Amino acid sequence: MAQLSPNPSNLGSPYPYLRELKSEERGLYLIHLLLTCANHVATGSLESAEVALGQISQLSAPDGDTMQRIAAYFTEALAERIIKAWPGVHRALNATKIKIPSEETMVRSLFYEMFPFLKVAFVVTNQAILEAMEGEKMVHVIDLNASEPSQWIALLQALSGRAEGPPHLRITGIHQQREVLDRMSHKLVEEAERLDIPFQFNPIVVSGGLENLDPEKLRVKTGEALAISSVLQLHPFLASHKNPNSRLLQRQGTLGELLLDQKDNSFDSASSSSSPPIGSPSSSQGKMDWFLNVLWGLSPKVMVVTEQDSNHNGATLMERLLEALYSYAALFDCLESTVPRSSIERLKVEKMMFGEEIKNIVACEGGERKERHEKLEKWIHRIEMAGFVNLGLSYYGMLQGKGLLESYGCDGYRMKEENGCAVICWQDRPLYSVSSWRCRK
Amino acid sequence: MTTSSSSSVPFFGMGREEVDEQMMKQQSAAAVGVGLGGLHHHHNPHLHLHHHHHQLLQHSSSLLSNSQLTTAGAQQQPPPPLSAASSAAGSGPPQLKRKRNQPGNPSKYLLLATYLALLLYLHPILYPDAEVIALSPKTLMATNRFICEVCNKGFQREQNLQLHRRGHNLPWKLKQKNKNEVVKRKVYLCPEPTCVHHEASRALGDLTGIKKHYSRKHGEKKWKCDKCAKRYAVQSDWKAHSKTCGTREYRCDCGTLFSRRDSFITHRAFCDALAQESARNPPPSLASHLFTGAGGAAAGLANNTTLDISSSTAHSSAAADILRLGGSTTGPGQFDHLLPPSTTTATSQQFRNQPHLSPSSAAFFMPQQDTSDHHQPFHHALMQQFSSDPNNAGGAAANQLFSLGFDGTTTTNNNMMTLFANNNNHGGVGGGGGGDHQHQMMMGSSTGGSVPLFSSSVHQQQMNNMVAHMSATALLQKAAQMGSTTSSNPNATTSASLLRSAFAAGPNNNHQKSSSGEKQPSLGTFGGSFFGDVDTDNGSSNNLHDLMNSFTAAANGNNNNNNGSGSSNNKKLTRDFLGVGHVAAAVRGIATTTNTISQQQQQIGAALERSSSLDSERNNNNSMGSHSSFGGNPSFQ
Repeated sequence: MAQLSPNPSNLGSPYPYLRELKSEERGLYLIHLLLTCANHVATGSLESAEVALGQISQLSAPDGDTMQRIAAYFTEALAERIIKAWPGVHRALNATKIKIPSEETMVRSLFYEMFPFLKVAFVVTNQAILEAMEGEKMVHVIDLNASEPSQWIALLQALSGRAEGPPHLRITGIHQQREVLDRMSHKLVEEAERLDIPFQFNPIVVSGGLENLDPEKLRVKTGEALAISSVLQLHPFLASHKNPNSRLLQRQGTLGELLLDQKDNSFDSASSSSSPPIGSPSSSQGKMDWFLNVLWGLSPKVMVVTEQDSNHNGATLMERLLEALYSYAALFDCLESTVPRSSIERLKVEKMMFGEEIKNIVACEGGERKERHEKLEKWIHRIEMAGFVNLGLSYYGMLQGKGLLESYGCDGYRMKEENGCAVICWQDRPLYSVSSWRCRK
Repeated sequence: MTTSSSSSVPFFGMGREEVDEQMMKQQSAAAVGVGLGGLHHHHNPHLHLHHHHHQLLQHSSSLLSNSQLTTAGAQQQPPPPLSAASSAAGSGPPQLKRKRNQPGNPSKYLLLATYLALLLYLHPILYPDAEVIALSPKTLMATNRFICEVCNKGFQREQNLQLHRRGHNLPWKLKQKNKNEVVKRKVYLCPEPTCVHHEASRALGDLTGIKKHYSRKHGEKKWKCDKCAKRYAVQSDWKAHSKTCGTREYRCDCGTLFSRRDSFITHRAFCDALAQESARNPPPSLASHLFTGAGGAAAGLANNTTLDISSSTAHSSAAADILRLGGSTTGPGQFDHLLPPSTTTATSQQFRNQPHLSPSSAAFFMPQQDTSDHHQPFHHALMQQFSSDPNNAGGAAANQLFSLGFDGTTTTNNNMMTLFANNNNHGGVGGGGGGDHQHQMMMGSSTGGSVPLFSSSVHQQQMNNMVAHMSATALLQKAAQMGSTTSSNPNATTSASLLRSAFAAGPNNNHQKSSSGEKQPSLGTFGGSFFGDVDTDNGSSNNLHDLMNSFTAAANGNNNNNNGSGSSNNKKLTRDFLGVGHVAAAVRGIATTTNTISQQQQQIGAALERSSSLDSERNNNNSMGSHSSFGGNPSFQ
């Protein structure tokens, strides 16, 4: 095979033909180039990858059509992966990068606004909680990522309409930012007063992710019926503590072997299914098990889990990249058909949320790789192994979710049932799943 | 806010006024979503109508709930209130049954249904030696399997065909029932392998039953209710629904219909909460970003621009025109469905003129400006659009802008073009649809290098849809189909097969099919725009054909260039999905050319030339008005 060699004259040229490509041709060509490039990165042939990256960046654009946008974020991610071979350079490049939590919150809420996914998840979650809390006098809800008050306002209103009268309600909200929780607390208390429901809000600020959560702080009391709502919070626990940096310290020549080597970290593909328990060899399992065990220990009457329904936790780079390509293509298509291209908010969601996720999926390994989205069946298996029973969403909950999706007016959004869980799709591509659980005692 | 003093029935724990206020809010949010700023007055009459209607509905529903409390158990009851429903909800199946018994007399129907269900369920148990019949979906769904060879009339039963043949004086023979022979019971399997009724132990006892089951559970829902959004796979279900649809239904402001009061109430709670929430905490709106976008480029003029635009383009809001719905005959109701809620709520807030809801959006986004530095050209384009916006009364201004687009061959080309498409639509709004036409004619007569760009804007108008190009999902699917992932790389096979297998396993299979049926961005329409084809009436099959042609052309081009480079050893990597050898060849041609960039460029150039010549040929054949020849354009070489 002839190797691609970087040819300065070619690289410098403006690629007039490439630029004149029509949207579809360009899209197909971009896909081809992306996969070629990823292949080069995976095999460690950096010169070839470099050429491919150069070509792609001639065609991609963060504000172009969907494929151009996607290509832009994937090349960025691939480039980051390459750069990680030089940890010093990588660190230097990110030296001034500041993580601003308020921005993250802002992008999250943009995501909430632009897509129906979280709203549907909230409706379905609330319905499951309502059904499970039928007749309960003391209800405690733990929200593992308390950022949207509207979900709980809706619950308050639904509870106030109960035939047997509203219960005493306590909501424990967990979030990284004190301000978000304060705002939420204020709104919920106000609403509860208006509806005349006895209500208490228990804010817990956890910095640096749920791993640092102190279960004691949840203050679950005996006699109260507990509901747990987890929206996109479980997958980070799949990240293992293996530190790839120690190995990436080597230079270019061995990068290829190294990247190939990472295939060995077959995190969950086979092993997690068979062995449930504590203290199992892989630390990733340990963390997930620890957390699920903590949740199980609280013996919730209902636990509703929303997760991304895609397989971004494959062992090899190519696997993940391909899967990510498909699911992010669907997400970008959603935006393309609902939000104008010129929208700055769209750019923000694409860059600061999807772009970062893509980067994490493609460029990171080991403990750094947090975006380990997995398919519903894996979650079902995992949560069952942790001592929970799939409650199955009621027909009614599904109906409500579907109703909300339909009211969104965009034809592409669909919802289907799978093993008693709700799967929200764009066209036919599943994107998010909602499942409801109870403790098996 | 209006206060209705006629009744003080509390609805959902809220006072009457509050309900009204919320409804008002939602109404305005829904109806006003079309526009920005001052536009909303247009919709006021409509809005009020809706409002009253809704009030009425609301009123009756709350009355209903009261009467329900006292006369529980009466016949012809509306669905039970929330609490009762949720108590039953835990057990699932009863809910399903209740849903089914919509048509007809509830009690009778329920009994019969239960009986039938029991019978069907018990069938395999009662008749364990029954003959198990597995029909293919095709035979199962074939309505008239027995065809008369003379007049092609179809019959469901052979006996009927035989009787019919008698009329043609053809030999006929009725099967005589052998009285001595014990009729063996038959049970039918559902052809869907994942279905529980695919197993012999749970086979269904009659053929119509299995037919209905199959269409309901695994079939396409072809029967659409004209009154609501419900779809049915079985015609009788649809008929039954049509009889009751609208008589006992609850409509939320957001447009969702409910046949059950309890589901309606729970939905309302959420809907209300959403509206309240967004009213209190205005999300950074879609409207604001436009202004900040302009502001980002103009760096200090932001405020001026904003004012200017909001005042001068009152008739066609930024939101609506960006969604490219301008000039169409669709009513406002359709618009607001298409708008994401953030727009809707933001505009509704402006409508209601609440003092605390006006954060300076320009300032809000300023901090982000450094991150979007590379969007500078884009901003520039945006600015142009904005500066010309006020003048854009009809097609003339658009035309001007358009020619401007042709001159510019910079990177901003694409962006500018999309914006021009906006502008043209804009004109369409102003000119009451006339703009559309002009725009298209302009397209037809213009020739030049920006063909891909302009054809995409034609495309937008043709489809009256926001997606101007093939969706990324469709592209990926196509790439997988064509195997364009095959490359000269050692690992190429794996990547290609991965993509292909992901495609096969993945859900995208149906995407293309369904979308072309629903006027979504599809291969077909794209094929049309691919050639700068302005004819909207082309069937999608025709367009598909065009697309195929284009790829065949590309194939030829690539093959010519590729002959010496020994790419034939890659042949086995590609599969002839479309049944056109050339297509596969084209793919291989494109795919295997990673050797040198220049070679690749040559090939693409050649392919394009070929495709353009084919294009003009085809145009000549069809004697179409539009010509877009790539080859003749000097800027292309």
